[in-house]
Amino acid sequence: MNINRLYAGYGKFKVLFDLEMEVPANEITVVVGPNGAGKTTLLNSIMGVATVFSGDVVYQGKRITGTPPHKAARMGISYVPQMGNVFAGLSVSENLQMAGYWMGKNELNNRVDQVLDMFPVLRQFIGRKAGTLSGGERRMLAIAMGLMRTPKLMLLDELSTDLAPIIAKRVMNEVARLRNELGITVLLVEQMAKRALEIGDTAYLLVSGQVRFRGKAGDLLRDPELSRVYLGIKES
Amino acid sequence: MAPWLASGLVYASALALTAGGITLLYITTRTFNFAHASMATWGFYVAYTGTVLYGGSPYRYFPLSFLFGSLLGVVCYVGLNRPLLRRRAAEITLMMSTLGYDLVLLSGIQIYCDYLTHTFRLFPRRVTMSSYDAEIFGMSASPLILPLTAILILTVFHLFLAKTKFGISMRATIENPLLAGVSGMNSDKVYLAAWVVGGGMASLGGAFMSMAMTGTPVMGMMTLPFMFAGAILGGLYSLYGGILGGFLVGLAEYGAVYYLAMLGGPWVLGYRMAIPLLIMAIVLLVFPSGLAGLPWGSLPRKLAGAMRGVKS
Repeated sequence: MNINRLYAGYGKFKVLFDLEMEVPANEITVVVGPNGAGKTTLLNSIMGVATVFSGDVVYQGKRITGTPPHKAARMGISYVPQMGNVFAGLSVSENLQMAGYWMGKNELNNRVDQVLDMFPVLRQFIGRKAGTLSGGERRMLAIAMGLMRTPKLMLLDELSTDLAPIIAKRVMNEVARLRNELGITVLLVEQMAKRALEIGDTAYLLVSGQVRFRGKAGDLLRDPELSRVYLGIKES
Repeated sequence: MAPWLASGLVYASALALTAGGITLLYITTRTFNFAHASMATWGFYVAYTGTVLYGGSPYRYFPLSFLFGSLLGVVCYVGLNRPLLRRRAAEITLMMSTLGYDLVLLSGIQIYCDYLTHTFRLFPRRVTMSSYDAEIFGMSASPLILPLTAILILTVFHLFLAKTKFGISMRATIENPLLAGVSGMNSDKVYLAAWVVGGGMASLGGAFMSMAMTGTPVMGMMTLPFMFAGAILGGLYSLYGGILGGFLVGLAEYGAVYYLAMLGGPWVLGYRMAIPLLIMAIVLLVFPSGLAGLPWGSLPRKLAGAMRGVKS
């Protein structure tokens, strides 16, 4: 996926300015940056949720700028938002069904089984309302819902929010496994920058809606100035 | 059955359907539908036309009333509501646009009434539909049939929401439209379905209503405040709350007016419209989030505690 000269925001309010980005296939691209840098807006504009003023989002050689969310989802792009990423009033099993909404019945049931094999912990909650799950369990369900659609590209927003450090680490390892075993392309927006950059391939540092750094994830992690000022990573 | 209770049950069933429709449209499309007024009146005129021109009991034409209401709902959604939603219009704009649609529908009703008078020599501006009512066990059928029909419709709708894939996707879209969209659900279809069901419930409710009161071109306009009162009493965000709220408002109006007139004299009748709105105001002062916000689970325990004089 490529993003060319993107200006985007909400209503009349611009958040992203002249953004150029390349998300190579079968890699993890990490986007880090301080609060308000426009990380979530970036994902929202790819998915057709935010307003795009100018510029292009090109996915698999096709221009998908302004495609409505439900169509983008059917093209194999799967978005796991940071907040409100499960249907609290629906049971775990209904949530998974909804995530694979347009699949046929057999395909849907197979896929639910496969996804539950990846996250066996969800099996014991299958009939419970998602609103009664803990933060970590919800996040697992949200990722499981993202995987229901057998995505080619996953957009993951702040996976580590509300998670205990040990669980956040496990979730990050899951993300690395998505790339290694399933060959899924991942665009990961993350506050827990250190761990994300460790598993990532390419990294972008976004500050005030503009790209401040692009390069290898490891290079950003080792850049003493940028990592200290923007990511709060101390030199060891 | 006491006379007030008989017409009260009919009227309450009508308000349950209309308030339920208002709630459904609000929780899906964020639109407070003022056009509910004339959609309800149109439902009555469909049943009236069928009864006087083609004969038989009015109930035969109730399904047609529902379908006609669905049609009015679809027209409103496609022509007015959807374009505004796409432009991310504010709630106030959405609401005022339905007021405009209501005035169009009301004009249509007036034209239609003139047409009936000129062509068929009918007097459709003051109609007593209850004179066409059937009889069961020696009494009017409507106090029995209409509440049962309302319960049947609501049960079917409940099963639809709980068990079918499209019903679950409707609940999902109501709760979180953004996530529903990125999961591949088309919110457009859900909103259209809401207008089909909500519009149908409005017009069927109007047909119900005409069995309890005089049918006039402004019947819906006159009762719209009580439809809203029911929806607000129900807490606005809960479909079942809205239905229950409408039912209680309707029954309270008939019951309270009857007993107050017995106690205080017939002058009370002049204030009948104030009674349901007073009930709504008092309930909301005590329970700001309406019936849906009541602690239903712990209510019996709390009441028992209060009766023993224990503070809970």
